[in-house]
Amino acid sequence: MSRQAQQWLKLFLFIAAATLLVIFLVSIGELVRLMIIAALLAYILEPLASFLESRGMSRTAATSIIFSGILLLTVIFVLLFLPLVTAEVHSIQRGVKSGQAEVVIRNLETVLEDKLGFLGVQNLNLMDRIHQASVEFGNKLFNYLLNIVSLVTNLVIIPFIIFFLLKDGREMKKNLVRLVPNRFFEFTLNLLHKMDQQLGNYLRGQFLDALLVGLLSITALWILDVKFFVLIGAFAGLANLIPYVGPIAGAVPAIAIAIMQSGDFTLAVYIALAFAIVQLIDNTLIQPLVVAKTVNMHPLVVMSVVIIGGKFFGILGMLLSVPATGVIKVVVQESITNFRKYRFT
Amino acid sequence: MDSFWGNIFRPRQKKEDPIITCLKRIPIFENLNRRELEALERIIHERVYKPGEVIFHQGDAGVGMYIIEKGVVQIIYEPTNQLLAELTDGEFFGELALLDESPRSATALAKTECKMLGFFQSDLFGLLERDPRLGVKIVLELARIIGERLKHSNEQISRLREEVKQLKERLGEGDEQTGTTVA
Repeated sequence: MSRQAQQWLKLFLFIAAATLLVIFLVSIGELVRLMIIAALLAYILEPLASFLESRGMSRTAATSIIFSGILLLTVIFVLLFLPLVTAEVHSIQRGVKSGQAEVVIRNLETVLEDKLGFLGVQNLNLMDRIHQASVEFGNKLFNYLLNIVSLVTNLVIIPFIIFFLLKDGREMKKNLVRLVPNRFFEFTLNLLHKMDQQLGNYLRGQFLDALLVGLLSITALWILDVKFFVLIGAFAGLANLIPYVGPIAGAVPAIAIAIMQSGDFTLAVYIALAFAIVQLIDNTLIQPLVVAKTVNMHPLVVMSVVIIGGKFFGILGMLLSVPATGVIKVVVQESITNFRKYRFT
Repeated sequence: MDSFWGNIFRPRQKKEDPIITCLKRIPIFENLNRRELEALERIIHERVYKPGEVIFHQGDAGVGMYIIEKGVVQIIYEPTNQLLAELTDGEFFGELALLDESPRSATALAKTECKMLGFFQSDLFGLLERDPRLGVKIVLELARIIGERLKHSNEQISRLREEVKQLKERLGEGDEQTGTTVA
């Protein structure tokens, strides 16, 4: 067989293997999703394990301590906040049923249709839409809770994967690198190191940022005496993980729920103001301190990848679109820079 | 009967890991205790190279050092293919890359089948974070060895300068006798 034919055969086999791998991963999509979530959480917790190791603990002991801590926090959170959250959900339901919210929403609808008619805003049917959305959400939640097997499996599998990734992750990485041919070995090590440097800081920074924004939002809403402060604040923190879209997505439900609960716009205005202040604090104080600007991308690129991620993979896709693009960016940059340096040609 | 009791109370001979044995022989790691050597072993990469296989090329980005567990490695200066050194079991090379990412100054080529241990910069930095005591021990030893080499290089440079000076003087004397000048 000629050299060129051999190269074509190699290329064909590589494409065939890659296609099979993609088909396999898609067919076990649920497990892959769980693995991604667990791997991300393990990655975020890694520095904590390393810190405990630097204090003289073994990796297993450090991992066990982190897990015990998380378990304790979860128990405290459930005991403290579950009754509060349940009360808040009931309060939302009462607000909807009282009819007060309906009047306010109908007024809002009229104002919007009057003022923004030139933009094609007509026949909004906000109340119907809200009602439909709440029914759909309720059904989904109910189905999810009914599917108790899936819920328990997720609750067991995710911590299980996190524990072993945290404890044996380094060994796993080493064993994977062992499979790389000698020719690409140093390149792979360099690439993994650069990816870790870029992504580690970004992901941990975003996680810490979301946590702080969540706490700030909860505090602000508590000061404003908003009844659902825990739910709204936690949602705002989580939504903050999605660039650009997140802060708005976090505030909108809060304002909508406030209108439904109180029946007038005053509280909604205060909430909007509170969220604006939280965003100001986030952008001027928290982000420059905790979020490393290592994934240096143009805002237009960030927006595009967030939309594409959401379109194909839902919320998880939106959350992971920026770090995933960061990985692709590093791989492409390093490959181009080192293509000749490592003599791949 | 004696052999019976002898067998029971014979101290158990622990079979030593060949990687630990190899690491112990390396000056950078010779002061580490068993626990530290085991921690180091966990981050060391084992590689096998065929005869004639290039370990790294001159000009490649340096990522770490290699220790020869078994085999012979040639260090070659590329443009002229000049053989700079031939290293064998227990010897190491590329240790400067643990401290900076400057390009490799020569090519390393496996002369025979080589079993190598790779210790890389990213792993050393990770170790410094997780186990600063061990990390600092290794970095200090590395600094000591590099310092010794620098001293050795300085001595060589002084010696060479002296030789050049003597040669110039001798040539100068010759010039005076023959009446030619040297540029």
